[in-house]
Amino acid sequence: MNYHCPVCNKISPTAVDLVRHMMGRGDLIHRDWINSKGFNYSEMLAAQLQTFGSQEYNRLAEVLEQEAKEED
Amino acid sequence: MTEYSVIGKQVHKVDGPAKVTGSAKYTFDIELPNMLYGKILRSPYSHARIVNIDTSEAEKLIGVKAIVTGKDTLGIKHGVWRRFPELCDEEILCREKVRYIGDPVAAVAAIDEDTAEEALDLIEVEYELLPAVFNPLEGMKEDAPQLHEGVERNINVTRHIEWGDADEDFEKCDFIREEQFYSSPQAHVCMETHGAVADFGHDGKLTVYTSTQSNYYIQVLVANMLGLREGDVRVIKPPSGGAFGSKFELDSAQFCASLLSQKLRQPVKIILNREEEFTATKRKTPMYYYVKVGAKKDGTLMAKEVRVITEGGAYTAMGATALTLTGFYSSLPYRWHSYRYDGVRVYTNTAPASALRGFGAPQAYFTGESIIDMLAEDMNMDPLELRRQNAVTPNYEVPGQAFIQSCGLSECYDTIEKYIKERGKLPPNHGIGIGNYGFMSGGIFNWFNTPYAFSAAIVKINIDGKVDLFTGACDVGQGSDTALSMICAEELGVHLDDIRIHADDTDLGPPDLGAWGSRQTLMSGNAVKMAAADAKRQLIEFAYAKLSPNVVYDMDIKDHQIYIVDRPERKASYFDIVKEVIRAREGQVIIGRGHYTPHRKGMVSPAWGFGVQAVEVEVDPETGKYKLLEIVTAHDCGQVINPVAVLGQVEGATMMAAGGAFCEDQPADNGRILNPSIADYKIIRSLDMPKTVGIEVDTYEPEGPFGAKEAGEGLTSPTGGAIANAIYNAVGARIKELPITPEKVLKAIKEKEQQQEQKEE
Repeated sequence: MNYHCPVCNKISPTAVDLVRHMMGRGDLIHRDWINSKGFNYSEMLAAQLQTFGSQEYNRLAEVLEQEAKEED
Repeated sequence: MTEYSVIGKQVHKVDGPAKVTGSAKYTFDIELPNMLYGKILRSPYSHARIVNIDTSEAEKLIGVKAIVTGKDTLGIKHGVWRRFPELCDEEILCREKVRYIGDPVAAVAAIDEDTAEEALDLIEVEYELLPAVFNPLEGMKEDAPQLHEGVERNINVTRHIEWGDADEDFEKCDFIREEQFYSSPQAHVCMETHGAVADFGHDGKLTVYTSTQSNYYIQVLVANMLGLREGDVRVIKPPSGGAFGSKFELDSAQFCASLLSQKLRQPVKIILNREEEFTATKRKTPMYYYVKVGAKKDGTLMAKEVRVITEGGAYTAMGATALTLTGFYSSLPYRWHSYRYDGVRVYTNTAPASALRGFGAPQAYFTGESIIDMLAEDMNMDPLELRRQNAVTPNYEVPGQAFIQSCGLSECYDTIEKYIKERGKLPPNHGIGIGNYGFMSGGIFNWFNTPYAFSAAIVKINIDGKVDLFTGACDVGQGSDTALSMICAEELGVHLDDIRIHADDTDLGPPDLGAWGSRQTLMSGNAVKMAAADAKRQLIEFAYAKLSPNVVYDMDIKDHQIYIVDRPERKASYFDIVKEVIRAREGQVIIGRGHYTPHRKGMVSPAWGFGVQAVEVEVDPETGKYKLLEIVTAHDCGQVINPVAVLGQVEGATMMAAGGAFCEDQPADNGRILNPSIADYKIIRSLDMPKTVGIEVDTYEPEGPFGAKEAGEGLTSPTGGAIANAIYNAVGARIKELPITPEKVLKAIKEKEQQQEQKEE
């Protein structure tokens, strides 16, 4: 299943990959979307940089997966 | 190998005679009628609000003509990353707060420098001190002082690059290594400091004479900051005394001189002194690197994950590019099955970090080449063979990022392997370390948001056959004027001394993005070649009609002869044809136009240079001191345009990189740089330099003019890692922080000895 970025429609193969795109894009509109979902962009980024792996991003990935299912 | 008439020949630089005879006029030498002299007052504090600036006493000083502060500006924040307005964050003359020691707050124009200097002491600035942060790891914390409004956790820029699934691939690895590294700041130490002479005329037009890597950038940025149209700003670049990445952003000398001149309608000269050069101009971006690599036991490099936190300093400058590029270079020059990079740039109350020759690559390769050696040791594998087995190859695509056409890494490995074997068994405490690299030939990203072609050129052939070449490319000592003249001469079939290049003036040449990212040989060179080809076509069309060859034959121009390629005895004089063409076209001169912008060449660069370097060191285990004995670099720069220039680039790049690894640093105390002088900032000197050998590997780059690509900036990349590896091979001491000082080496040796003693116990 592919995931479409809710901001710029970029397609990602997994929800975590989509999170990485949104976090990595880093521009204001992507940040605003992330913050609108109850997350704090800067905090997530700071936490992500503390360890290898994807732990911090999994929570946002779950939201994106849920929204994708709702659209289906 | 193709035989060329001009390309590949050893020629003197076209600007050489002026420089060696002392007749070249640098920015410092420019004197204009009624010219005034300017000085800049800078903040003594790392972070403070400006409460009030009282210039009244300074204005009374005889000889002072004008004083400007932030209130005299339009309040525009500028930046080179114009595509992202939030990254345009620098006012230059601060209006409300200062963010680093050295941030400009006022500028004075006076009849001489001493008067201007004296006036600075009479300007009263009331500050309200604010808490400051100097380390990006601290700056990212939730409770850290905020430098720019609305920028949470001071996270200025983020970058992410990824392909494959690194988490999944690490599961498959037999060997995994995780390490942390630090790469220190470095100053450019150009012989010529930043400076400008600005002349705002009564016609409302501004002329700026300034040492710059990009006339075009300065033209646009100054125009924007002063509320002028770009066409009303003329930037003239005199000969330059070095740049290395420090001179393609709008600096305080350029802006303050322009603002003062605009106010006074008189020329104003501002030349930064050496202390300002060290403390108040941009510097190499310090980086904290966290790297994890994994490989299978058969030697396949599977996964690499990189996290980078950069010390951004007070403003964005070109630091966003350094963050992006270091992330990409961390993946080169290997074929990683998966790769993940997360990088952030964090504002700190220190001098802004930006570009320095290599642009994020030296940092990436110091860490990457060090950890590859560590991994090779874990795997009990020869480090050269591990590299060779996994190196990128010609026509390799870095997934979703870049397409590599020419690549001479294999031949470079062969060359270095041969050198190492010939060295044989080394004496005690000697070690050879290797590092390799891949480097861009110009960047594809248009962060400046220019609507123009990245490079453009105009060729004009005069009635006597002499050629005027107009380009916006900037020669900052690397020899682009000569290289571009050679490309023009080769394409047009004339001699080098037929070409007169005009590359200094925005009023004369078409825009060019300038000298950065190793772009000019390839990008400006392609534009020049196209322009020369356009002019040549006009001559050949006429010669075709005159000589009437069979339609299957081609014609070309070489050595002032226009000839039928398959029947070279049938020819006409270039000089005669030029005259006839001009007459036949009602006296119109022959003009050729060319331009180049990379299209569909990936995300990063249209071409890549590669190389492998071996460094031999001798370490004194009692003191930690070490000597660089020899540095041998096999590099692939495609077709060499000017061999003398390439040799200069090899030696210069090696020296700069060696300095960064060996001794250069900017220790600071609460944001105050402690060594802002040539006496205290240790740079590598001729006595420290080892024997340096550069060996060109023959390749041909289809994207480049006559097969050429970059040579010189990439060569700053491998040295840090190669030195670190050499020291480890000599005495078993692994240093993961630059610069590699004797103190660090000695400490590592002692720690290793203690660990061995503990093991034995």
